[in-house]
Amino acid sequence: MTQSYKKQVFISKSIIYLFLILGAVIMIFPFLWMILTSFKTQAEAMAVPPKFFPSSWKATNFERVTKSLPFTNLFMNTGLMIVFRIVCAVAFSSMAGFAFAKINFRGKTVLFSLVLVQMMLPSQIFIIPQYQMLAKFGLTNSIFALVFPGLVSAFGTFFLRQTYLGIPNEIAESAYIEGCNKWTTFTKVMFPLTTNSVAAISIFTAVFAYSDLMWPLICNTDLKMMTLSSGLSTLNGQFTTNYPVLMAGSLIAMIPMVVLYLLFQRRFIEGIALTGGK
Amino acid sequence: MRQRARMVDVGSRDNKWGLIMVAPTILGLILLNMLPFFQSIYMSLSSTKAFGAYQFCGLDNFVKMFQNSEFWLATWNSVYFCLLTVPVGIFLSLIVAVLLNNKLRGTTVFRAIFFLPMVVAPAAVAMVWKWMFNGQYGIINSLFHTNVAWLTNSNTVLISCAVVAIWSSIGYDAVLLLAGIQNISKSYYEAASLDGASKIKQFFTITIPMVSPTLFVVIIMRLMASLKVYDLIYMMVSESNPALTHAQSLMYLFYRESFIAGNKGYASAIVLWTVLLIGIVTALQFLGQKKWVNYDV
Amino acid sequence: MKKIAVIMLSILLLFSVVSCSKSSKEATSSTNEKNVTLTFQIWDINQKAGMEAMCASYTALHPNVKIEVQVTNWSEYWTKLEASATGSQIPDIFWMHTNEILKYADNGILADLSDIVEKDKFSEISLANASGSNGKLYGVPKDKDTVCLVYNKEMFDKAGVSYPDENWTWDDLTNASASIYKATGKYGYMAYADDQLGYWNFVYQAGGYILNEDKTQAGFTQSATQKAMKFYIGLQREDWCPTQTYFAETAPGDAFFSEKGAMYFEGSWNLLAELENYPEMVGKWDVAVLPKCPDPIVGDGRATISNGLSYSAGAKNKNLEVIKDVLKFFGSQEGQILQGEKGAAIPAYENTEYSWISCFDKYPVDITKVTDMFAYGVQSVNNASRPEWKSKVSDTLLKIYAGEIDIDSGLKQMQKIVDDLSKN
Repeated sequence: MTQSYKKQVFISKSIIYLFLILGAVIMIFPFLWMILTSFKTQAEAMAVPPKFFPSSWKATNFERVTKSLPFTNLFMNTGLMIVFRIVCAVAFSSMAGFAFAKINFRGKTVLFSLVLVQMMLPSQIFIIPQYQMLAKFGLTNSIFALVFPGLVSAFGTFFLRQTYLGIPNEIAESAYIEGCNKWTTFTKVMFPLTTNSVAAISIFTAVFAYSDLMWPLICNTDLKMMTLSSGLSTLNGQFTTNYPVLMAGSLIAMIPMVVLYLLFQRRFIEGIALTGGK
Repeated sequence: MRQRARMVDVGSRDNKWGLIMVAPTILGLILLNMLPFFQSIYMSLSSTKAFGAYQFCGLDNFVKMFQNSEFWLATWNSVYFCLLTVPVGIFLSLIVAVLLNNKLRGTTVFRAIFFLPMVVAPAAVAMVWKWMFNGQYGIINSLFHTNVAWLTNSNTVLISCAVVAIWSSIGYDAVLLLAGIQNISKSYYEAASLDGASKIKQFFTITIPMVSPTLFVVIIMRLMASLKVYDLIYMMVSESNPALTHAQSLMYLFYRESFIAGNKGYASAIVLWTVLLIGIVTALQFLGQKKWVNYDV
Repeated sequence: MKKIAVIMLSILLLFSVVSCSKSSKEATSSTNEKNVTLTFQIWDINQKAGMEAMCASYTALHPNVKIEVQVTNWSEYWTKLEASATGSQIPDIFWMHTNEILKYADNGILADLSDIVEKDKFSEISLANASGSNGKLYGVPKDKDTVCLVYNKEMFDKAGVSYPDENWTWDDLTNASASIYKATGKYGYMAYADDQLGYWNFVYQAGGYILNEDKTQAGFTQSATQKAMKFYIGLQREDWCPTQTYFAETAPGDAFFSEKGAMYFEGSWNLLAELENYPEMVGKWDVAVLPKCPDPIVGDGRATISNGLSYSAGAKNKNLEVIKDVLKFFGSQEGQILQGEKGAAIPAYENTEYSWISCFDKYPVDITKVTDMFAYGVQSVNNASRPEWKSKVSDTLLKIYAGEIDIDSGLKQMQKIVDDLSKN
């Protein structure tokens, strides 16, 4: 290794670190504010001009929020909702994505345009009709209700189609030659190549489901059947909100997501970045 | 010699598999999304009374809508918001994804930090940013020694919302782009390095073309999301904010008309207009993709 | 691959099992008396304890009836209620607000409760707040409230101004504000562009009105109303009053409890929560009756907006008999006192205010001033089209404040908006 090469590496490393640190500070600052606020009293939190540090680090807000909300139920409901939505999204969208990308079948363009149209529609127009559908069969106030809008994922289909389009046709051809039909080509060869994208879609689905506020509030009436985000929103009074308590609740709600994310992250970062055939 | 056939199979077996594999998704889409959409279309052509009573009235809602200046302002707000968030947001996400795609020490920690916004309740995020942007005592004014009424001045309100939108979605988009980048074979980069190409040149000649299918998806997604935006603006800009008319997006206007004023028919007309806008933008993207998106065949 | 398929299949199976589990609503016990569980929807988590106390008392008397109190956030409450009404899934018992009752009552959603309300025990306003356009009662009156003046004693002391009393007029309000601002640099009366907690009070004090007797026309072009509106909007020009841009980011209550301003109008339903949430401020503030208009065009210059919620039920509910019995209890003296004892709302039943007042015993606040004002309460303004014109009027008002249109044109516009939409 020559001196100038070492220097080049050092400079590029430093630049990378610099940008990362700058970005990280911007990312993290609001969270610091959240954490600090969760220890303040209501008066301190609303103080004008704002106080940085709480006068005492008592956990009163955390106590209050755990008493007001049934967190175990909220975690369970959110967890179940996310898991089922991920399974549905991955299973159905992978199949559909593969089919749209690699199979030429009648009506393909028309059907794919349905996927695109769904992505263009604002989600607010689905809420009431979907609620009425569930209400007719008495399925409101359940886990199924929470999962219902996520039974299929148009975005997932679109994203995975792009992924499959990026996989060279030679791979499918060689599978074909080895006697696979379309289904087994998919299951044995193609699907395993998309681990990164599947993980990405899983995270995407999880985040989307987690932050969905309106739907769980409308479809489930019992507080014990709510999700974390909708459960937290019940802390908003009609006229006043106890912000430190809300912050404390949001922090508690964040923890499982952070844990989940860290688990998932290791899997797909260290994942097999197969490019097949190269 | 093997015939190098393209995967253009017209056999009925493949037809069957194709339809079977898309069936669950398509059936779900029709039931969950298309039916409500048709309902919306019908509602836009009706005047609605409370509790589901409709009366067909043709294009009245649309006529009323196109004559309403608040509506045109909302249209501009949505377009402006899109212009503010998409180019900058995509650019930053791409940079972040590239920066995170390395084996330097501590990168895992950085990855976790960048993805944090995704795991926090949006309501909490909006609240914290509202404080930071506060005209009287917000941190942003203190840090930069400015005295701007970020959220109540009609010129800056959407810019402030855009900052929050970009902040919230960088991690999101970077995850997707990272997946795409990691699918690029290392051998390309090795070969390029051997040829003496700099990291920057490699970025433009290898990374961007190879990640273009994923990049295309991310761009489409961001475009659609920004034109459909509602939650963020609703939480940052309250009903009593004097700059509201300069911040309300089309879907915010929809919310006010549909859920507050109860004019579901008129509100549905707004939805259709929004979908039309999104459709035009998406169609342009799809037409343009031939020029820059590279599908490896 | 097979492993993954097995895992996914088992997850889907688990899914279908779990999704079929919901709470069952009815079961018959062996004594042949039907066990009933009723859902009770409210929107204020601060009042949950009071509601549950009433329900527990009822269940103690009728063990086969259980009532579950569920809280939905205010901002989603009405969307949810309307969706559930359209889908015939309306909750068994729910709170009803004057903003919405006409819509629900006039469309036949609500059960007629005229036969279970002790009409002579509630004020005219309370009964009016629970009635549909046809005059029948579609709710059991729950509470009543007034708007009062909240003031910071310390700032008054520093400026050497005597505390507000029953003789205060608008002029005293402005003079005190100016003196306090001069002496302390803090805001005086913080005039927020709110209707119920702001200008409505002034309009009725001047002898004007927001809606006329048959609720088909607004009163914005009427002289007494104009007098009040011009006074109120003009307050913003004073140094001691914050602008609406200030209020857009800081509610007057938040500003008051951060000791930024000396006075503001508050609703009686928030007082207890504020005493509990801001312990350091206890003793520094007090309440007073609203200042009167010194030269009203009509009337004696005194008015305060008084609103009240009611309990309602769905007209087509199959458990209606049981529900009506429950609601009868909620509207009885005993039920209303139970509510009052928990402190958030003043029960509507006459002569039960003491139960609410007793919650304030440990605080140095002259709380009886709130209940004194019922003598001249004005029913909170409402007609069937208010949901449609409420935001439009408020938008126009903000434009006046911002200087985009002048007061006279603005008031004319507000008049037109209300008149056009109230025509039916």
